[in-house]
Amino acid sequence: MGIEIRESDREIVRILLIEDDPDDVLLLRQMLAKVEDNRFDLECADRLQAGLDRLARGGIHVVLLDLSLPDSQGLDTLVTVHARALGVPLVVLTGLDDEMLAIEAVREGAQDYLVKGQIDSNLLVRSIRYAIERNGLLEELKRAQQKQLKMKNQFLSHISHELRSPLTAIRQFVTILLDGLAGDLSPEQHEYLEIALRNANQLRAMIDELLDVTRAQTGKLTVEPQRISLAKLIVEAFEALQTSAAEKGIKLSSSLADDLPPAYADPYRVRQILLNLIENGIKHTEPKGKITVRVQVSNEDPHYLYAEVMDTGCGISPEESERIFKPLYQIENTSNTSRKGLGLGLYICKDLVSRQGGRIWVESQLGRGSTFFFTLPIFSLMDLISPILTPENLERGSAAIISVRVLPVEKLPSRKIDEKVLRKARGVVQHSILPDLDVLLPRITSADSGEVFFVVACCDRGGAEVLVRRIERQLARLEDLQNAGLDAVVSFTMVDIPSTGNSKSLEQIVQEVGSNIEDLVNDLHKKEEVFK
Amino acid sequence: MTGKKVLVVDDDVDLLQGLRVLLNAKGYNVVFATDGLSTINTARREMPDVIILDIGLPAGDGFVVMDRLKSMQPLASIPIIILTAIDPCSSKERALNAGAKFFFQKPFDNDELLAAIRNATGETGENLQEQM
Repeated sequence: MGIEIRESDREIVRILLIEDDPDDVLLLRQMLAKVEDNRFDLECADRLQAGLDRLARGGIHVVLLDLSLPDSQGLDTLVTVHARALGVPLVVLTGLDDEMLAIEAVREGAQDYLVKGQIDSNLLVRSIRYAIERNGLLEELKRAQQKQLKMKNQFLSHISHELRSPLTAIRQFVTILLDGLAGDLSPEQHEYLEIALRNANQLRAMIDELLDVTRAQTGKLTVEPQRISLAKLIVEAFEALQTSAAEKGIKLSSSLADDLPPAYADPYRVRQILLNLIENGIKHTEPKGKITVRVQVSNEDPHYLYAEVMDTGCGISPEESERIFKPLYQIENTSNTSRKGLGLGLYICKDLVSRQGGRIWVESQLGRGSTFFFTLPIFSLMDLISPILTPENLERGSAAIISVRVLPVEKLPSRKIDEKVLRKARGVVQHSILPDLDVLLPRITSADSGEVFFVVACCDRGGAEVLVRRIERQLARLEDLQNAGLDAVVSFTMVDIPSTGNSKSLEQIVQEVGSNIEDLVNDLHKKEEVFK
Repeated sequence: MTGKKVLVVDDDVDLLQGLRVLLNAKGYNVVFATDGLSTINTARREMPDVIILDIGLPAGDGFVVMDRLKSMQPLASIPIIILTAIDPCSSKERALNAGAKFFFQKPFDNDELLAAIRNATGETGENLQEQM
């Protein structure tokens, strides 16, 4: 082939073979010996411990690993070697009947696997070369990401530092004057200084907003969709903005359809969107105006909620309507005396809505007010489960519902669980499952038993037990969990899948299984859900 | 009038002046330092009741200064309040571990800072919520 081989590829490749069967060792040695232009150097270890000792001395380019050794069995072998051989690629050697285990090993960090009895020297060499190459790329990517992250953080703390210092001096002297430390003030002077202080505080809020938008641009604005009540969030947003609306004599009202289904969105982010849109409305509406929030199921697509925030303000021209969601966009409006923001609010809103699978747009007439619309998906357990209810998976005859509870070791009811740790724990669970077979459902907050993650897995009882153990093992390794004083409890329930034999169509079975699971999870939901 | 002595360390002279006005008005004696090195000398000479310390300083940053202070008797027992523009995410825990009593990010609230000073100098037993 016409591929140029780099000089570095011609260097000696030092392979560590951890394998206790002398016949297999001999076979692999012979295969490598057959390779033309042989630049492989094979070292062997017949015990895990001997392999680890050799790895510790360094200089190994790739490890060929048999998972069943006299002193270690199965996936544990890989986990141990992977933890000790950071940055060294692993290729797993497995028997014919153990391919599932090998696939799991790849998920745990092995670069590749070879099935004994199906190896020839070409395959062996290619697997070794690919493993080294892929691992190198992975390491390079990791380094680049870390460098980028570091630069971003440096930039952020620099900006934050430089802006905060002068702002501190401004606030300081204004408060000194306001507190009368430099002499008595006339009511007029007092009023002017209050205005200065209010603006300084606004500037402080803008610095925080700037940090938020930088996070948005680096994809760091995290969104974790859950089953949420939009109505509840609207009430909360109204409560938060009641004072500033009342100051301008603006009336806030809402009109919500009865039996509004729950949305599938991140409550913190939806609150942020609502606050932004309503605040904007207040800003651009004349005194005695009105802001109305409406929510209903979308007429166009019954899978979405359709929300509108309508004001009776100055309105936006059609040209402006198109640009309004761009970053740093400011409405040109000479008659408006209220403060312009950074022009980032709607940009952040758009980013947040689209990250949650919705759309946001505006309809407006100059002088008649504006209406902002956004959509959010309706929570549907069926939609979340159906991707794994494939014909092959249904044939397995059963599914497992696994619940992972994260709860404080000591029962302190008032104690709030650290959000960051929860996200990490959720990440670990997500990482433990197989995308085509299992699905991780959005989490539920529970009054007495912490946070619950549900996993629906297409497998039999044995498979469920294996998965439960895997999740337990992975969570046990999450130090943040222990440091935060949290415990994880994993348990499961089985659900039967009817066979295709009794003249039911596949579609019927999917429906039936889906609603069985839905009932079961909803029951648990009812038990767990707290009315926040 | 408390008569307690406060050493304020910051390289921003505007901030120093602002704190002087505030603290004098509340009855404190105020002394200044504007870099890490002179902080040690000033502390040794003046023996303040509390030190308000910035982190980003020339000639020895706040962490270096804190380490030095904590290793020298009798300076080690002087309570330290950190007042900085640096992101608390990266520095708060480190500062508290190094022996700081309170941590404030600029811009700060006068009343909260005053409460922290009162607490640090033992003028009051009021229970202060730690600042984020």
